[in-house]
Amino acid sequence: MIKVENLTKKFGENEVLSNISTEIKKGEVVSIIGPSGSGKSTFLRCINLLEKPTEGTILVDEENLTDPKTNILKVREKIGMVFQHFHLFPHLNVLDNLTYAPMKVKHLSKDQAEEKARGLLAKVGLTEKETAYPSSLSGGQKQRVAIARALAMEPDLMLFDEPTSALDPEMVKEVLDVMKDLAHSGMTMAVVTHEMGFAREVADRVLFLDHGVLVEEGEPNSFFTAPKTNRAADFLEKIL
Amino acid sequence: MNLDFSQIVPYIPFMLEGIWVTLQFVFVAIIFGFILGTVLALFKIGSIRPLRWFADAYTSIFRGTPLILQLMIIYFAIPQLTGYDIQPFLSAVLAFGLNSSAYVSEIIRAGIQAVDKGQTEAAQALGVPYRQMMIDVILPQALKNILPALMNEFITLTKESALVSTISYLDLMRRAQVVGADLYRNFEPLLFVGLLYWLMVMGLTILGKLVERRLRLSD
Repeated sequence: MIKVENLTKKFGENEVLSNISTEIKKGEVVSIIGPSGSGKSTFLRCINLLEKPTEGTILVDEENLTDPKTNILKVREKIGMVFQHFHLFPHLNVLDNLTYAPMKVKHLSKDQAEEKARGLLAKVGLTEKETAYPSSLSGGQKQRVAIARALAMEPDLMLFDEPTSALDPEMVKEVLDVMKDLAHSGMTMAVVTHEMGFAREVADRVLFLDHGVLVEEGEPNSFFTAPKTNRAADFLEKIL
Repeated sequence: MNLDFSQIVPYIPFMLEGIWVTLQFVFVAIIFGFILGTVLALFKIGSIRPLRWFADAYTSIFRGTPLILQLMIIYFAIPQLTGYDIQPFLSAVLAFGLNSSAYVSEIIRAGIQAVDKGQTEAAQALGVPYRQMMIDVILPQALKNILPALMNEFITLTKESALVSTISYLDLMRRAQVVGADLYRNFEPLLFVGLLYWLMVMGLTILGKLVERRLRLSD
């Protein structure tokens, strides 16, 4: 459902992504790993055009994102994104965070949107937090709300940008559990993560980026036990 | 000491009426200045170059010249130029509104830019159009942060409104002068309207605190 061809991104003179080509199929869970500064997040952010690619094409369901004629808002409706720092709307309570975009963008009625939102809150285990404001939630709770907020738009694809990196260790599991459930329900997911356990256990495929280059990609078991490249081997040695 | 407040008693209704006259144009000028200031702020942070240039030039002119000069130009010079006999009320609203919008636009611009960039990204990622995002996500958060600065601007405007006494608009200040001239005593009427100005500003301050408390509900 996503096809990336020769994607290059430069910030000024600095080339953060070099000539990346890959594909994410429907229902697939892909983990993107690599050292910090390797361009993982930038790669993810190019997929919903939060960063504009310098060169190359990105096709989402045959629609070319880099074509100026493409309605990027329409494409983004189908792509949910979860950020490292949650970015919940602080002036709205939890329920309103979930209903805002479905009502404003998809023009659902308030009742429809709230029914959907309550269902999602139950799914992420936060039913009792419906009227709470984000500032009163723990990091793990915030991230679960953020996932529910993205799901409320009924996306075909979910992007996760280091969803557990800003969390206290004891809260990582609750977020990963929600993500695992989501993966098992057949959602297509691209996850930038430092959680190698998650990558290994849940992902169908691992992309390893270093210095903006897609160095290696493969099925997680073989990648983690027998990486094909020295760079991947070095990286795994340092973190495992 | 030769103070005799009993002398101004017959003039008190006349002076109190000035509160309404002053508030009337201050209120309209604040609203006008706030709306225009918001538009200018959006020009300043927007991507359309001529609008950005216009908003910057506008701010530079209205902040760079005295308010009383702007008032005089609008009241005295415009009729000379166009033959249109502009009323003091309209002149006052225009001068104060246009002037205030220059300051308000800077306050709002700073407020918008202080909102976490992640908020914009979160809204974009959900497919929310720019206009909608500004209205529902960014401006409410910006307003909460800049409320004290905005209150400052509104208080300043309320007090500076006394300048309209120079274009023979019968506001609070002008009425004190009229009473002073009538009685050959200035201290009592001036002190009296001074108290009224202070009370008006106190009212505004309390209103600001109430709004602020409401906005802080989400903290």
